[in-house]
Amino acid sequence: MNIDQARESIAFSNYARKRARDDIARPWLALVLLGSLSVASLSLTDAAATPTGLFWVFAGPLGAGAIALYAYRRNRSSGIDSSPVAYLAITLGLITLSYAAAKIAFVFQIPVFGRGGPALVVAAGYLALGWIERSWIVAGVSIALIAVTVAIVGLGLSPQASKAAMLAFYGVALLAVGFNMRLERHQLQ
Amino acid sequence: MTHPTSALDDTVHQRVRLGILAVLSESRRADFGYLKEVLEVTAGNLSQHLAILEEAGHIQIAKVFEDKRSRTWITATRKGRAALASEIATMKTLLEGIGTSQRV
Repeated sequence: MNIDQARESIAFSNYARKRARDDIARPWLALVLLGSLSVASLSLTDAAATPTGLFWVFAGPLGAGAIALYAYRRNRSSGIDSSPVAYLAITLGLITLSYAAAKIAFVFQIPVFGRGGPALVVAAGYLALGWIERSWIVAGVSIALIAVTVAIVGLGLSPQASKAAMLAFYGVALLAVGFNMRLERHQLQ
Repeated sequence: MTHPTSALDDTVHQRVRLGILAVLSESRRADFGYLKEVLEVTAGNLSQHLAILEEAGHIQIAKVFEDKRSRTWITATRKGRAALASEIATMKTLLEGIGTSQRV
């Protein structure tokens, strides 16, 4: 083996890895769907916090189920699939962290923690998604979401207003990035 | 003292076989058609390389029936993933350690 062959082998291996990653990773649907759900839940925020909570009780699992079904069908048709373990671990981790944030806010009477905690957990979830999918765009969006969440909490708005502002920003950002990723993918095909 | 190239694994460092393991290392499994398309090889050629890797214990092949048609899924074993990582690391070490004009 000479040096050019070694270089060519490494380059070919990198190409094969990247191609496999690109074919597996399609987070656009997750972003669009969860973005849509965030925007849809906005209409419920003016009444009280409870209807929004109820909305997510049903919409959350339905959204996650739709994403899982899409991933299953896509994997069967594309001929390559990834392990669901990382996604399941992240989902369970997020549910636990969200619950813990809400519980800590309630027990220790820290309203700021309750207002920003769950949103930060969701943003952290997108950071994990970006890592699994090897997507710099998703990772970048999650960091922006964290920054905006901290900024909104720092503004000292009413709980209702800060929740609406966060959901609006999350919804619009996720929709924009999701559709953009879908568009880029469509252009590549 | 042994030459660094002795660390290279003949079974793995062949171009197509390296590609097969690279694809499988990024996924849970891939089917025969997908590997054939990505690696741009003929079915016969791919079958030969898969047989070599399977014999060495680097991959597992499962033939199943899905939607009334046969399908071949290929999975990298732990040994296969480790062999790929070791191969890439060895090649990178060799490239870092010598000049471009030298032979490995």
